[in-house]
Amino acid sequence: MHQTIPQQTLIDCTNLTTREINQKLKALASESIPTVKLLNPAGRHNLAVGITQNIAISIEGPVGYYCGGLSENINIEVFGDCGWSVGENFMSGNITIHGNASANAAASAQGGKICVLGHAGARAGISLKGATIIVTGNVGYGSAFMMQQGCMIVCGNAGANLADSIYDGVIFVGGEINSLGADAKLEPMNNADWQLLEQELSILNISAKNYNFKKVICAKQLYHFKAKDWANY
Amino acid sequence: MCGIAGIIYRQPEIYKNLGNDLLRLIQPLETRGPDSCGVGVYGSATQQLKILLFAAQDVSWEEVKHWWEKQTKVIEFDAIANGRRIILDTTDKPLNLAQIKPHLAISFPQLHLMSTGQLLEIYKEVGTAENLFQKYQLNNYTGSHGIGHTRMATESIVDTFHSHPFTSAPDLCIVHNGQISNYYKLRFSLEKKGIVFETDNDSEAIAHYIRYQLLQGFSLEQSLQNLLNDIDGTYTFLVATADKIGLVRDKFAAKPAVIYETPEMVAIASEYRCFLNLPHYNPNAKISEPDAGEIKTWSTTNKPTPHLELV
Repeated sequence: MHQTIPQQTLIDCTNLTTREINQKLKALASESIPTVKLLNPAGRHNLAVGITQNIAISIEGPVGYYCGGLSENINIEVFGDCGWSVGENFMSGNITIHGNASANAAASAQGGKICVLGHAGARAGISLKGATIIVTGNVGYGSAFMMQQGCMIVCGNAGANLADSIYDGVIFVGGEINSLGADAKLEPMNNADWQLLEQELSILNISAKNYNFKKVICAKQLYHFKAKDWANY
Repeated sequence: MCGIAGIIYRQPEIYKNLGNDLLRLIQPLETRGPDSCGVGVYGSATQQLKILLFAAQDVSWEEVKHWWEKQTKVIEFDAIANGRRIILDTTDKPLNLAQIKPHLAISFPQLHLMSTGQLLEIYKEVGTAENLFQKYQLNNYTGSHGIGHTRMATESIVDTFHSHPFTSAPDLCIVHNGQISNYYKLRFSLEKKGIVFETDNDSEAIAHYIRYQLLQGFSLEQSLQNLLNDIDGTYTFLVATADKIGLVRDKFAAKPAVIYETPEMVAIASEYRCFLNLPHYNPNAKISEPDAGEIKTWSTTNKPTPHLELV
């Protein structure tokens, strides 16, 4: 059951199925309830998935896989760590994680902004399709693999094979890059890049100037098959 | 998907929690694999050889006992559900298990040798964790460490013998989440070295590979490092020996693992929510994820002195 106390709607997840929680969130969003607080998420999977109407959801504790996936127009704050694929195929809005994210953060996310105020695991921003992902800590192995559009900002270090088989989009890394994947290359930073970083990070009270940001983009060498490269295959 | 879990205690006073803790840790992972459940637990050490036998069909246990008595001195022969826990005195007459196994299989084809060793006991069943623990009364099981598995069968049949854990030597067992993509190549190369496979489950190859490495004189850590280079595919697996648990995550970090550490214990599980299910969950525990291609090992505080050969 959800109870309304002044300016705050609470849902205790303990005795509800995930489907019931998501149905409640959808119902509250359609009633134009502005904010909801989820209590006792206990690492449960699929929370706040497929919500398409404007609502702010604050989750008090760690969540499992796919939190906020497929959602539109929503504003999620997670006060805890999260499991695989937070914000998978996210369409628009914001997800902020006050903790660490496991593998595949923002996988295939098409729009909106996903912000991890800790570290993210392997394959962060895999197949990113237009969203912005900001990680204030490190990202793991194979991040931005097959990225197609959008922007990834990492203040810390990036693991091996960053941006492997990238198609497009841009990645900024403030720390060390273990290694670049196939068809990724470093590009000199320009003023517009620093402006973008300053704009995105100042909201988080981070000054981009404190980091030695490097820019990674697609080298576009794998775009076309060239007969002279036949021997390489 | 499959679920893997493991527990290793840092204080002997809490060894009595092993059965219950392992059940609570593995239960949430049934959603990752509902086909079967199994555990490999390291209980009270016997200075002798402990063997667990399970019968797939009816068998005359009197005849089985008589058969073992012909091999060596039988100290205990306890009934546990549709199996027997046998303690053998091998002090005067060491047993060559590799030699004895084919003879046992010929004499009693319906029998399956689940585990051997001074400490290790393997219990596995098709169905839920709760069923398994009730059937073998594992809730009060006392021991220093153990690993568990819930299986979602992908490449071989669903029955007790294709379930995890897999063992290949006394006091050695593994549980695995993933697939081995160079399985046939690996299997042929191990078979050329004389290793006999009992199932067509790819995970069994991991157990045999580790045993072979240990027989070459490599440490557990070095064996796991070699494995990381020789075995292709997706794997997060746990290996348990008489005094250690090792964790290996493949180079692509394709399969999940989360580690929970407190001054009392280390627990490993496929998913974070398992830890919340622990009866003595400590909110201040250190929780971390292994990196791609990372190997970790933990040791028990009490070092047993295995006198068994790693046959």
